[in-house]
Amino acid sequence: MRSRFRALDPPLLWTMLALMVLGTLTLYSAGRNTPQSAIWLKQSLWNALGLGLMAFLATVDPRRLFRYSFPVYLVGLVALVAVLLVGKKIGGSTRWFVLAGQTFQPSELMKWVTLLYVSQRLGSRPAEAVGKLDLLGALSLVIFPMLLIQRQPDLGMALSFLPILVIIPLMRGLRARWVVALFLLVTLAGIGAWKVALKPYQKQRVMIFLDPSSDLQGKGYQVNQSRIAIGSGGFFGKGFTSGSQTQLNFLPVKTTDFAFSVWAEERGFIGVVLVLGLFGLFLNRLLEAAREAHSHAEAYFCAGAASIFALHLLVNVGMVAGALPNKGMVLPFFSAGGSSTLSFFLALGLIMGILHRSKVK
Amino acid sequence: MDPRHHPALRRRLVVLQVFVWSLVGGLGLVYAWLQIVRHGEFKQLALQQAVKIRPIAAPRGLVFDRNGSRLVDNRRALHLVIQREDLPDKPEVVRDLALALELDPPALARKIQSYRAAGKGRPLVLRENLDESGIALAERVRARFSFLSVEVAPRRVYLGDELAGHLLGYVGEVDEELMKAKPTQFHLGETIGKEGFEASGNDKLKGVDGQKRILVDQLGTEVANFGQADAVAGRSLYLTLDAGLQKVMADAYGEEAGAAVVIDLRDGGILAMYSSPSYDPNLFLNRLSQEMVDRYLNNPTRPMVNRAIQGIYAPGSTFKLLIALAGLEKGVITPQTVIHCGGKKNFYGRDFRCDKLSGHGNLSLVQAIAQSCDVYFYEVASRLDIDDIYATAEKYGLTERTGVDLPREKRTRIPSRAWKRKAVPRDPKWYAGETISVGIGQGAVGVTPLGLARFYALLATRGKLITPHLFYGFRDDQTNGVSLAPQVPFRDTPLDPQHWAVLDEGLFQVVQGGTAAASALKEVTMAGKTGTAQVATFVDKSHYARQAKFLKDHALFAGYAPHEKPQIAFAVVVENAGFGASTAAPIARKLVQYWFLDRTRNPLPPPKGRLVDPFAPQPEAP
Repeated sequence: MRSRFRALDPPLLWTMLALMVLGTLTLYSAGRNTPQSAIWLKQSLWNALGLGLMAFLATVDPRRLFRYSFPVYLVGLVALVAVLLVGKKIGGSTRWFVLAGQTFQPSELMKWVTLLYVSQRLGSRPAEAVGKLDLLGALSLVIFPMLLIQRQPDLGMALSFLPILVIIPLMRGLRARWVVALFLLVTLAGIGAWKVALKPYQKQRVMIFLDPSSDLQGKGYQVNQSRIAIGSGGFFGKGFTSGSQTQLNFLPVKTTDFAFSVWAEERGFIGVVLVLGLFGLFLNRLLEAAREAHSHAEAYFCAGAASIFALHLLVNVGMVAGALPNKGMVLPFFSAGGSSTLSFFLALGLIMGILHRSKVK
Repeated sequence: MDPRHHPALRRRLVVLQVFVWSLVGGLGLVYAWLQIVRHGEFKQLALQQAVKIRPIAAPRGLVFDRNGSRLVDNRRALHLVIQREDLPDKPEVVRDLALALELDPPALARKIQSYRAAGKGRPLVLRENLDESGIALAERVRARFSFLSVEVAPRRVYLGDELAGHLLGYVGEVDEELMKAKPTQFHLGETIGKEGFEASGNDKLKGVDGQKRILVDQLGTEVANFGQADAVAGRSLYLTLDAGLQKVMADAYGEEAGAAVVIDLRDGGILAMYSSPSYDPNLFLNRLSQEMVDRYLNNPTRPMVNRAIQGIYAPGSTFKLLIALAGLEKGVITPQTVIHCGGKKNFYGRDFRCDKLSGHGNLSLVQAIAQSCDVYFYEVASRLDIDDIYATAEKYGLTERTGVDLPREKRTRIPSRAWKRKAVPRDPKWYAGETISVGIGQGAVGVTPLGLARFYALLATRGKLITPHLFYGFRDDQTNGVSLAPQVPFRDTPLDPQHWAVLDEGLFQVVQGGTAAASALKEVTMAGKTGTAQVATFVDKSHYARQAKFLKDHALFAGYAPHEKPQIAFAVVVENAGFGASTAAPIARKLVQYWFLDRTRNPLPPPKGRLVDPFAPQPEAP
């Protein structure tokens, strides 16, 4: 047991633990005087379980995990198809399996499985040996599960697969014409999505993002209340468990999507800077892990993971401040939830393993 | 193979690191913008939605009868309201809300507009006095419209139900016209008396609203109170009414329509006043259902009209006393004048008939009153000019309103030349023949039951003109004592005692051996006059055309008791009931019986009302 914890990278572990403590405190405050008053305890259990899982994975040679990535990827695809057929429908979308009273979201885990398999495929050969066809193959490996997830529908989750593609510029570098091509593609895809693919509630979210005051009683209400919570927190915050927006329930879904607003209201700008700094250190360490990794596949995995975490940070923290559309993307270590917590720790366990290997040899 | 020896990859990872840090920095800037630059604005918004100033409705004063029996009580009630700061502004939200509550959308929009325009004050009430189903509805609707809240406020309970509906009236929200007419006196959403004494005594009964600063949660529930200015309750008061006598009067009417009044001769206080059919004011505290509109507002029997002060009836023979008075004062007859009745008499080429077709023979004035001979008074009237009759009526207060403290009292109608010129412009000339009809209280003459009772009170008091009233005095809530209102002064009229003595004797003989002999009581002497009115001039004749009983006459009885030393005066009108002696006089007899005999021996219990639990469903119509 001791050796397992010795395998964990201290800088990464400490930033994680710090974020976890702050996140748990936030959940304690958010759950006070609501039916969810024990949510901080429940989340602590998930965190403990996750830490255990991470500690275990840290001692496993990452190469063994990469070896099994293809069959696991296939199993994941089957699970995504299965959830569409037999999953539980909650609030208009079919995203969850129900097992022994617990809901489980397969797409959460599939993100990391996809990253693992794509890293393995592209990293198994020297970068120079990877052709355009391989890149196209990797692209389709990412897009295929995304399409299945958008069928649920869950646009936020589907979009959180995109950071995996950061591997491609890492291999090839960024060329100006690529950037222009990508920009055109995204614009066209955006217009196409608006016309064809987006569901009415998704369109509504975009509209509300463009003009939050257009629907203060409905969807815009959430973001509006969140902005009031953040802004009224001021520089020093209103004090732990003393945020009026949080404690008087003006702030909606405050234990999941809007947990960060609770923190921002009660701990103020100082608290926000602290958490953002910790996230910066956390992401920085993941990218350092990529730099120190022993193989291209491992480096790609670390960089992809950092990008995924960064996207969660950007979308959640930006969304609750009203700077990005209301997308429903959780904030790691803050938002309560079993599936997301476990999959985050799963990925971090792998990265811990990669860091461990880079230090031993 | 080893990426550590792959400089391009390492370089690109450094770029990614820079990118991540700038992302963190960018987010920091967004938060600095919200939390430092715009902090004041958001702090204001947070305060605005969590700290509210809520008015505290002041309970109105309670109303008691003269014996301290509670007539009007206050209970706790729940209202579905929109607090002023939560008024919705989107037209589609207002429309959806109106539809959800079955309100008229344009009317609700107008109301919200006016509430927004007004300063602070009461919240906008959407549904008042929620019962169980109302609370369930409110909860359902609040799930969709979070700006709604439920307010606790006092509500009125009228304990007698229909017992004194017209008299007490009811309260409601001040309407737009009144707000426009007297913008300084009322504020929007205020509860004021709409009818009856609630309206006329509004200034006495209303309290002063308080307000409090509270912390509310997202559902509008009060979490903390930062301090409040308490509401000052309105003062409780006593009415001159006697609930027991009122009950006897109401019961005496049963299904009959009409009105009756009993006046206390000591001070002019109204001891009982009932208009049949009556209504239950409790039902008017809530929005009217279609069933209620049909039952009360569209009912041809007009239950909403207080017949005692708004019903104009031909006084019939009860008017003969005024004719006699006019004749005596004008000198066309003396107390001893004897006139022969042959069953009919011809005036101006037309036969006017007496009730007794065989004729009464030779009659003195006292006998003419006692037997209610028509010919006698045709003759007296024929010797008088219509303007003489009018002048006498004016002298004894019959042409004016009684001045009772109830809203919308109607004036009696005593014809004169001037009146006919104004009222009948296509035939403005007064014909002498019309005066003959007036002689027996028919034709254009019309009085309210209260006006008639006041005239008989004048006869009872030998010429004192009283002002009937309901307000008795304020109640001291600590001691239950009464601080009496200043007495409304009498007006003395120059009634000749000799003339009075003849009239008084005539009225006494009516009950002793005359037309109302059957209604005499052994223990208490009465004086009074029966009347049978052939013409229905009440409000709108066309309604009567549809009534099954429409051919029947109105029965009247007016008088006072005891005869020797009168204490009360009364007037009783029973619509379409035939001869006055057979229906109206027995009601008067019941009233006198209760007031002088049963009241002390066996008083009736105070009114209870049907509405016991304010949250129980509204009582069904009987």
